[in-house]
Amino acid sequence: MTQRKSGIQLSVIVPVGTRHADLKALHRDYRQALDDIGRSHEIIYVLDGPIPEATAALEQLMQSGERITVVQLTRLFGESTALMAGFEQASGAIVLTLPAYYQIEPEEIGNLVAALESADIVISRRWPRAGGLLERIRRGAFHRLVSWMTGLELHDLGCTARAMKRQVLEEISLYGDQHRLLPALADRQGFRVLEIDVKQSAQDRFEGAYRTREYAHRVLDVFAVFFLVRFTKKPLRFFGMIGASTLSIGTILVIYLVIDRLVFGNALANRPALLLSSLLVVLGLQLFALGLLGELIIFTHAGGMKDYQVERVIECPSHENLV
Amino acid sequence: MPPSPRLSIIVPFYNEADNIRRMYTAIVDAVAPLEVSFEMVFVDDGSRDNTLQLASELAAADSRVRVVKFRRNFGQTPAMAAGIEHARGEILITMDGDLQNDPADIQQLLAKMDEGNDIVVGWRFNRQDKMISRKIPSMIANRLIGKVTGVPIKDNGCSLKAYRASVIKHIPLYSEMHRFIPAMASIAGPRIAEIKVRHHARQFGKSKYGLSRIYKVLLDLMVIKTVASFTARPLLWFALLSLPMFGGGLLLFGYSLLTALVAHEPLSLPIAGTGLIFLAGAVILLSSGALAEVVYKLGDIRESDFARLTRQVRTSITADSQKEQAILS
Repeated sequence: MTQRKSGIQLSVIVPVGTRHADLKALHRDYRQALDDIGRSHEIIYVLDGPIPEATAALEQLMQSGERITVVQLTRLFGESTALMAGFEQASGAIVLTLPAYYQIEPEEIGNLVAALESADIVISRRWPRAGGLLERIRRGAFHRLVSWMTGLELHDLGCTARAMKRQVLEEISLYGDQHRLLPALADRQGFRVLEIDVKQSAQDRFEGAYRTREYAHRVLDVFAVFFLVRFTKKPLRFFGMIGASTLSIGTILVIYLVIDRLVFGNALANRPALLLSSLLVVLGLQLFALGLLGELIIFTHAGGMKDYQVERVIECPSHENLV
Repeated sequence: MPPSPRLSIIVPFYNEADNIRRMYTAIVDAVAPLEVSFEMVFVDDGSRDNTLQLASELAAADSRVRVVKFRRNFGQTPAMAAGIEHARGEILITMDGDLQNDPADIQQLLAKMDEGNDIVVGWRFNRQDKMISRKIPSMIANRLIGKVTGVPIKDNGCSLKAYRASVIKHIPLYSEMHRFIPAMASIAGPRIAEIKVRHHARQFGKSKYGLSRIYKVLLDLMVIKTVASFTARPLLWFALLSLPMFGGGLLLFGYSLLTALVAHEPLSLPIAGTGLIFLAGAVILLSSGALAEVVYKLGDIRESDFARLTRQVRTSITADSQKEQAILS
């Protein structure tokens, strides 16, 4: 555990990407809201790649006497990496992540922190929500996919205003675009996830559309997390599922062809269906082999991983200890 | 820290508020007369009733009780694994938290352990469960498990088992392996014994298992077979799997070539193609096996470590003669 700097309770991490609001105004608003909570805090800005105007704004803030920490990444690494880089500098027992543009009304930040009483990670849902019909359909489909795959009923994974206990980020290392799915990963580690409704900022407006590539990335991320959450410890369950279906279809087809040959005398030699069925059989077997290979990887490394998270060990009062 | 006890009794609890006190009393009543030092490790598997509170009260009143609290419900295997990890005794005994196992059987288990066994498993010979949904599937599963793994145990599902701590602590337990622990442990070559134990019908609470597990058990069995019999030689296992494909492919391909060359008929594309597909499949399986060798080499499971756990060293060199040799050399 990193050393705690002078009793800071709240660490705020703001990853700044190409899309960001006027940082000076944003900082003023965030600072105001944080002061209202009345806990000691620090604000860490992580610049994801060179963003000259953001750097300039933060320089000015620093010169005007604002106490902030700025982490500059040399190239665009993505928001997950930026978050982790910011977290390395954070010393508070509670970590808040806030977007670099207006998503929620800043005064809601206090509610996020307050909700940590009954949860380990609190995520916000902008509600009531502005946005067109198409946008709503797209969002609904994405979240239904997520809830189907991870079993978590969430409604606004795009909102990155989140509060969490320090432990959450200590135990979960994010990569790629997984910050969006942090709640699902946290849930898998046994943390309590809570979604609360917050007021959407009047300035939270998104013009234009995402590129197709971004949609593809998001869906792939969901699949990756789905696999991690459900099958890390039992790869054969996953590969076996696909393997068993292809294998059985192939086998049935082969049996049919053989019966057709033996009983009805239809020659096999000119039947392309034979190729198809044998392909299916071989594919099924290979999928099984992949699953077994995965199991072998898990088994030979099982010593280092744990299937469970112990919250604490309760012993005779004299030596109760936290794990 | 108190000196480590001889016996650790590991009991996972999941929503067993009705049973936990009874369980505690039953264990103390059964073990205290045996005059061995013991501890109880209660694992709270994320219960939502007041099981944890009751367990904490027991721990506060009795220093022999320790409670390991999970952050949420993780399942029976993780609960057992956590209990095994946190236990400090030389002999570990696991049992269900629902009073279906009888702590009075601990005495028998201990006696069997003292005969030099590394693992003693309980066999619920008069099992108090429903015939169709529980007993028959479990009988078939046990037969199958015994056949495939070569560890013929009549009742893998019984939680009442005793282990030598030095052996079980080195066996990786993960996923839903609790019913396969003896089979998993067989990679270490332990001496396994089985004894009849009592089994009571559930008195309080309700059973938490269903019937829909055949697919999972079958797959798990395949995994056990792979890891328990072939960890040291994964290539062999994949080679065995690829052998029928190799043979079939060669046969089909050869047949089609032969008819084309000898009988001067046109080459049959579907048959030759099928042969080629099977040959290719066999080659890919073999390559997977080679990859498996790499995985095993880079992993941290070594067969020699397991051999060390259960070996017996007998030497005719006495301590004195060793000293002499040291001086001479």
